[in-house]
Order: sequence, then structure tokens, then C-alpha cells
Amino acid sequence: MFGVKYPVICGAMMWLCKPAMCAAVSNAGGIGNLTAANYETEDDFRAAIQETRRLTDKPFFVAITLLPSVRITSEHHKMYVKVCAEERVAGIEFSGTPLDKAAGMEAVELLKKAGVKMFHKVGALRHAQHAEKIGFDGIYAAGIEEGGHPLSDDVTTMVLTPRIAESVKIPVVSVGGIADGRGLAAALSLGAEGVMMASRFIATKECEVHDNIKQELIRRQEFDTVIYGKSIGLQGRGLKSKVLEEVLAIEARNGGFEELIPLLSGQKVKQAWETGDVHYAPLMVGQSIGLIRDIPTCQELLDRMAKEAIEQTQRTAKLCGV
Amino acid sequence: MVGIKYPFILSGMSWISVPKMVAAVANAGGLGILATGPMNAAQTREAIREIRSMTDKPFGANASLMFPGAAENAKVLLEEKVPVINFALGKGDWIVKEAHKYGGKVFATVVNVKHAKRAQDFGTDAVIATGQEAAAHGEEVTSLVLIPHLAENLKIPVIAAGGFADGRGIAAALALGAEGIAMGTRLMTTKESPLHDNFKKLTLEKDVYDTLFSKRFDGILCRVMKTDAAQKAIKKGLNWPAAFFNSQDIAKQLNLPYIKLFLGVLASGYSNSKQLAYLANAFKAIRVATENGDFKEGVLPVGQVQGLIHDIPTVAELFERIAKETKAAQAKVNAALD
Repeated sequence: MFGVKYPVICGAMMWLCKPAMCAAVSNAGGIGNLTAANYETEDDFRAAIQETRRLTDKPFFVAITLLPSVRITSEHHKMYVKVCAEERVAGIEFSGTPLDKAAGMEAVELLKKAGVKMFHKVGALRHAQHAEKIGFDGIYAAGIEEGGHPLSDDVTTMVLTPRIAESVKIPVVSVGGIADGRGLAAALSLGAEGVMMASRFIATKECEVHDNIKQELIRRQEFDTVIYGKSIGLQGRGLKSKVLEEVLAIEARNGGFEELIPLLSGQKVKQAWETGDVHYAPLMVGQSIGLIRDIPTCQELLDRMAKEAIEQTQRTAKLCGV
Repeated sequence: MVGIKYPFILSGMSWISVPKMVAAVANAGGLGILATGPMNAAQTREAIREIRSMTDKPFGANASLMFPGAAENAKVLLEEKVPVINFALGKGDWIVKEAHKYGGKVFATVVNVKHAKRAQDFGTDAVIATGQEAAAHGEEVTSLVLIPHLAENLKIPVIAAGGFADGRGIAAALALGAEGIAMGTRLMTTKESPLHDNFKKLTLEKDVYDTLFSKRFDGILCRVMKTDAAQKAIKKGLNWPAAFFNSQDIAKQLNLPYIKLFLGVLASGYSNSKQLAYLANAFKAIRVATENGDFKEGVLPVGQVQGLIHDIPTVAELFERIAKETKAAQAKVNAALD
């Protein structure tokens, strides 16, 4: 559906989804991700798009998170939309507030006119229906197992994907809990047109992150993530670590936002990726880390996934008594 | 492995997986698991004979080893040579040993790799893997991640439970490495199911997010339908006086002298007493929901999959449809990746 070889899309990852990584996924036959919030100025953002284009002639998507943060404001959001339209990028992964509410219907119109495909990452059926209504091209249905901020009603991918797929007419992509060909086949069976993965792409040769992090993802299992942030109304899932233990302890005694902010700072996450210290900042990975066993190239990963998905489906075709 | 047409299993649900329902599933080509939780040994024996009078197909029965009276019931299952025994919430090594003597198969219900491996080590024939989305007792890990992880770590078959109601889900489970699926919520919403009509209809109205997942209903993580009664029960937490009365009902039901049950529970220590007190209250709430359709006091364990249930077919209609949908879903995967 996306005019690429494999229906596998890389999800947004702050500090990690930059031009080289983005192009590696696209060159491997999937769709790479350029995460806009890595760039604070229009010039830097535009330069990153152009750099990605030098590294690949294949389509890639930009990710824009429409949530207020200390560093990235609604002015940034508008700038990202404008630049994407001017540069006519292939598509945008939006998450957070619906685009029409965050930047007005004129932003939707602008992108439509520029031919930029719009996808919203949602965790609830009502949000998917809203995106369809305002003219979005597809839905990323994110289950509770995903890393980052599962803004869901705590519904799992196994149930959310078919529920949304049967209720909207636009394509649905499964997010959360997928790391291999088995998950790809499962998502397609459930009615998705493709899958989005993020955690799995951290453990690839091309991801620019400290090797400790990649090794840690191989070591850790599916029960090694934890949900936090419920007390401040923004739940997140991250790798169990000393810092998240501390966060949960503060939440348990109703310590407020002020106390939590220093522990959750984005700058600390950047340092943790660079130094490989998994206990220094919350690393937003999902339950799918339990399925990560190695550090392939993006090409090896995607080739293997497609092969495995077909093999699994053919192997099990006779198991259902018909 | 057990000689059934479809790899579809009816989970053992108290007051739902009764002889009539188990036989309906068996006759439609699946495997029904009789729920022995609310029964004493004599009732269990009677129920097995009733199933055998209604079907000559294989069937199973469960033993939730945490419940009082479960070991006695399991002994009856072994004496009656029940083809499949499904144990949960405890160590069933002795059941495996005895069942294998007459060629019976034993399934263990598990929520993680550690328990699954232990069950495999003492000879269990298959595991039923309960994902977070399941009705009642799942844990944090969801089916999408739990099934492939178990499948690659075990030599014995994995049966997926939690999140399955149609062919899309079954195709997904098989792709993830499962060899079959167990369905609770879907099968309790069929024509033959003894679930009260009030709750069958309510299941059709409820969506995927209309469940509550909490330790405050029966003492362990438990998923139930989100209703006023369920919210009230969870808000309140453990109600000791109610447990005192409800446990008397249980003693009556299990045909145990109450004082014996009471002293037995006290002797098992505070945390176990607390757990059993929780279970006594949950038992009552589930029974009045399933049997009486009581919205005021009744609480029904359901999975998130309730949001994918849109009709009340017969079991046979359901199985035939699911098999067809599975084929269609698999064809879609092949087409997408070709």
C-alpha cells in the first residue's frame, strides 16, 4: 500500500531517528522515520530532510508529536507542518493531540494539497474515527505493549488492531509488541496493512546508540518494561531501571510533577543513549524487547521478517481444520 | 494431539463451562473444558458422566489448584480418566504422573516462560498461555509478545488464550507459533452458553476498553467487565464480613462442614486467608452475574476481546465461520508479502 517493498515502518524515536538511520530503513525496503523534535530551527529541520534525501531515493516519513513540551512549542509544530508541505515529504506520523485541534484545519488542508500522507498514532477507536473524519490517510493503532506513550485505553494490539480495522475505511498499521516476522504475519492477519516498530530498530547495526543499549535489549525480556506516569496523566512505558523505580516510588507517595520532571528530562535520555547507561534516564522501549535476540542490519532484519511471516503463515495454514 | 477437528478450546469458566456447554463444544469439533471450581467431588463425578452421556468426543476438565477442594476434584478427574486435564494456579506434577498412566493429556495454564518451563519439565503435554488481555487472570505481558516467546522456548505446544474471538485472531495466534487457541469470552456469548441473557446482551454493547484490570476484585490481577457493580467492588477492595458469609455458601456448595473449611483456611496463614476471603466474595459476585444476570451485585470476568463480539451464534456456526475467516486472513498475509 505504501509503494515500498516491505510493509514495515519505523516509529518515532527521539534522538535516534535521524537521517542516517531513517535512510537505512528506507533503503532496506521499509519506511524510515525522521523525528522532527530533534530539530529546533526551521533551517536544521529542512537540512535534515535534505540530508536524508541524499542518503536515499526511497520514501520516508517525518514524525511530529503534537504534545506540549518544555523545548518544543506549538510554534515548532506549525513550522514542522509548513516545512513538510514545502518539501513534499512522503508522509507524516502524527501523535498526541489531533492535528486539527493542535494546528487548525488549515494545517490538514496544507498537507493534503502538498500530497503529504497523514497518519495519526492512536490508542483508542474514537481517536481513529476522528482522524478519518478530518481526512487522514491512515491510522497507526498502538497497543498497550508499545514503548513510549501508549495513549490507549490500555487495550492490547491483538484486540485494538481488528477493532479499529473493522471500524474505519482507511488503512491501519499495527504498533506495539512486534519485533519479527511472526508479529508481522499476526498483524496482517488481524487486518493491518503493515506494522510499525521502534524498539526492534534500536538493536540494528545502523542505529546510532551506545552498544551497551543494544546488548541490554537482547538481555532483557518482555516482563522488563514498566508503565509509569499515570499519576501525571501521561503514561509511558520504559525499560525497568533505577530511574524508573525512583519515578514509581515518587508516584506511589503522590509526589507531584515538580519532583518528577528532573528525572524525566529529554536531555538525560540523550545522554543515556550516548553513554549506554540504562539506569540514567527512562528508555522508552516496549514489551517486544523480549523478542530481540541479535543486532542485524536493517536489510537483514526486514528480509528475514518478510520470509518468516510467509513461512509461518504457510506452515500453519493446515492447522485450522479446513 | 487430542483428536479434535478444530484447534479451539473452551476455557474452563465457573458456571459457564458446565456439562451441556462442554458437550456442545465437543460436538461442534472443539475441546470443552469443564469448570470444576464450584463443584465438590461427587458433583464433579456426576458432571463428567453427564458429559459422556451427551458426546462421545474428547473433552477436558480443569483444576484450579488454589481453590479449596480442587485436589479432591482432580482425583475424581483421574479416576474417571478424563481425556484432558487443565490445571492452573498451582503445581500439577502429580496430576501429570497419574493422567499419563491412562493416556490422558495434561495442559497447564501459565502467564510466563518460567512457569511454562517448569510445567514442561515435569511432563505437562501443552501450556495454555494467558495474555494480559484475557478475562480474569492474565499478567502484564500481552498475547502478541507472550505467545512467540513461549513457542520458541518450549518443546511442547502452546495454546494461546486472551484476545481471541474470530479468524483474524486465530490466524495471528498460529502465525505467532501457537498450535491452538482457547476462548472464554467469545464462547460464553453463544446460544448454548448458560451465561444469563442480561450479560450476553451487555457483552455485545461493551467495547474493547470496557474492562477493569485490578488486584482488588479477587486478590490477584483479574480482568472483569466494567460495570457499576465491578467498579464498586474494586473501589471497596476486600470485604471481610461478606467473605465470612460467602465462605459459608462455599462450604455448603462443596459439602464441607463450615468449621472445617474455616479452620483450614485460618491454619493456612494470614495472606492465604486473605486470598481465600477475596475468592469467596468473587465467587459470589461471578455466580450471581452468570446465573441470575444480576447487574447490581454481579461481576463478570471478560476479556478485552468482548469489543470484537457482535453476535450470538451457535457454537457450530461460530467454529465454521472462524475456520473460514482464518483461511481468508492467511491468504491476506500471503498476498501482502508476495
